Amino acid sequence: MTYKDELLEKLRRNTRKQYPMPDTPINGISYDDTIKQFVEMSKSVGSNVVMAKPGENLDDIVRNAYPEAKTIASNIAELTIATINPDTVAEAKDLNGTDVGVVCGQIGVAENGCVWIPQDMKEKAVCFISEYLVIVLPKSGIVNNMHEAYDRIRMPKTGLGTFISGPSKTADIEQALVMGAQAARGVTVVIREE
Amino acid sequence: MSTLHSEAARRFNDNREKTTWHDATFWSLRQKRDNMASGLPEWEELREHASQIKQHTITHLADYLEEFSAQLESRGVIVHWAKDANDFNNIVLDILQSHGVRKMVKSKSMLTEECAMNPFLERHGIDVVETDLGERILQLLHQKPSHIVMPAIHLKREEVGRMFEEKGISTEKGNDDPTYLTQCARKHLRNQFMEAGAGMTGCNFGVAKTGDIVVCTNEGNADMTTSMPKLHLVAMGIEKIVPDYKSLAVFQRLLCRSATGQPTTAYTSHFRQARPGAEMHVILVDNGRSDILANDEHWETLKCIRCGACMNTCPVYRRSGGYSYTYFIPGPIGINLGMLHDASRYNDNVSACTLCLSCDNVCPAKVNPGSQVYMWRQKLDSLHKANTMKKCMSKGMEELFDHPQLYSSALRLAPLANLIPEGLTHIRTLNPWGVAHAMPNFAKESFQTMWKKGKLKKQ
Repeated sequence: MTYKDELLEKLRRNTRKQYPMPDTPINGISYDDTIKQFVEMSKSVGSNVVMAKPGENLDDIVRNAYPEAKTIASNIAELTIATINPDTVAEAKDLNGTDVGVVCGQIGVAENGCVWIPQDMKEKAVCFISEYLVIVLPKSGIVNNMHEAYDRIRMPKTGLGTFISGPSKTADIEQALVMGAQAARGVTVVIREE
Repeated sequence: MSTLHSEAARRFNDNREKTTWHDATFWSLRQKRDNMASGLPEWEELREHASQIKQHTITHLADYLEEFSAQLESRGVIVHWAKDANDFNNIVLDILQSHGVRKMVKSKSMLTEECAMNPFLERHGIDVVETDLGERILQLLHQKPSHIVMPAIHLKREEVGRMFEEKGISTEKGNDDPTYLTQCARKHLRNQFMEAGAGMTGCNFGVAKTGDIVVCTNEGNADMTTSMPKLHLVAMGIEKIVPDYKSLAVFQRLLCRSATGQPTTAYTSHFRQARPGAEMHVILVDNGRSDILANDEHWETLKCIRCGACMNTCPVYRRSGGYSYTYFIPGPIGINLGMLHDASRYNDNVSACTLCLSCDNVCPAKVNPGSQVYMWRQKLDSLHKANTMKKCMSKGMEELFDHPQLYSSALRLAPLANLIPEGLTHIRTLNPWGVAHAMPNFAKESFQTMWKKGKLKKQ
């Protein structure tokens, strides 16, 4: 027998008074200009933000942002300059050495610069192992706060997803902020009209 | 009068410069947290919600755990139930051995510290590699975390630089620039991620309705840990459950703002199942939590989300450092968790509190750790840990205040104390209160006497 049954029984026995869930919803912060707030917040957490011009080619945007990139990993079909695809690599390790990873974001959160990335690719390592990360985000996906974001999340079939807000960072040595601890050293968020 | 905490704190304060730096560093975190709080009109509403959601979840925990584990199992995640630390360690070892794993990378988990997992696995020949930069530094120095969010905060860059050189992680002699050292660690850890046969994460929140494991980091090390090896182990205390995404939003907004004063961690990652071709295990750990639930005075410690805000604001923590506490979690919440774990062993920490209750006022889940320390102090006598000198004084004061005539005579004679030379009043063993305090002068006449003599007029 596992400990499960014993534990559940004990928890029920040890519970005194039971409390209800709060019944009023939180009235989360909202902004007059949600897009502007998202852009400002993204910059303050260390991201670059590019507002794509209507019809602008994704290849050009990525090239302009990272002109020296050699290995570009992505499963986005319209990105023709991708040199490696996280859906078809044999192992996550094969993505090591990627200069730029390009992924699709679904929701952008104005209050904290988070972008929800549904990890529908075979190897989600592309989101973290790349030296620099480009996140392509539809303008319509930008919301005020995390309450709105969690209302909208659609989890992909892989059951994996992450909010990313800026580059990987640490302040573990004397509280000095350093970008590029383990994952992306820099992040560019590309906002596109649908 | 002294406890293990106060003695250790005295040693910590021998290095004035470091103590001042430590104090200022944590106070600046408190200020950053305040900035975040004042930036959200709904901040207090969020705290109240967080508290109520946790009260609800913890008092319906069995139901939520059933829902949570069923969700995970429906997607092929293997769920284990560990009664205590020993149980947990053996479950982990079994999983690793049955997969032939020799090296495991892991992201930060206070639960694995609680269970002393690393030394256990190492004794069984498994190389455990911490991947949070601070944790890795401590692991290589054979030290323990001094703070739950910023584990290596007590170290100076020179100490880290020297160790990196010795271990061959850095190559430039004498370079202790944090950016340089972080880049060296990045390279060093990248190799570890590639070589490891398994990756372990903790769990900040487990969502009952969907079965999501949610892990928050700034470095992205939990993500590297779960993206490279094909075996993902999750170490999770049973109190980490939240009901649904609506509740999760409340905690996601509070956690990092309270912890480091950032609007969010860089990564908030959700794992509902193993990644394609991989395997995922979730180990749910009790280790005394089910007993805490039955404790009328302290069950609300189970609401804690381990943000560390109570430490950052605590005047005692800031000036005594994490190592002055005898339990592995320091600060106000650690005092309580230590007492709940083993009151006879960890009661020295109960003295590490001025009862200023600053912690109660910043705690995002309203655990009220300071108010709980007060309750522990009432119990010290029954644990035979009440200080004899303080007990005598309390008795004496009780006598004095219960007998008005005795009190008046004492008051009349009090100015005589002004004549005692300081050398006598400040003998440390006789009067520990004299340390760093000047003795106040008693007035020649008390207020009561002056009043009776009509020297004072009603306004």
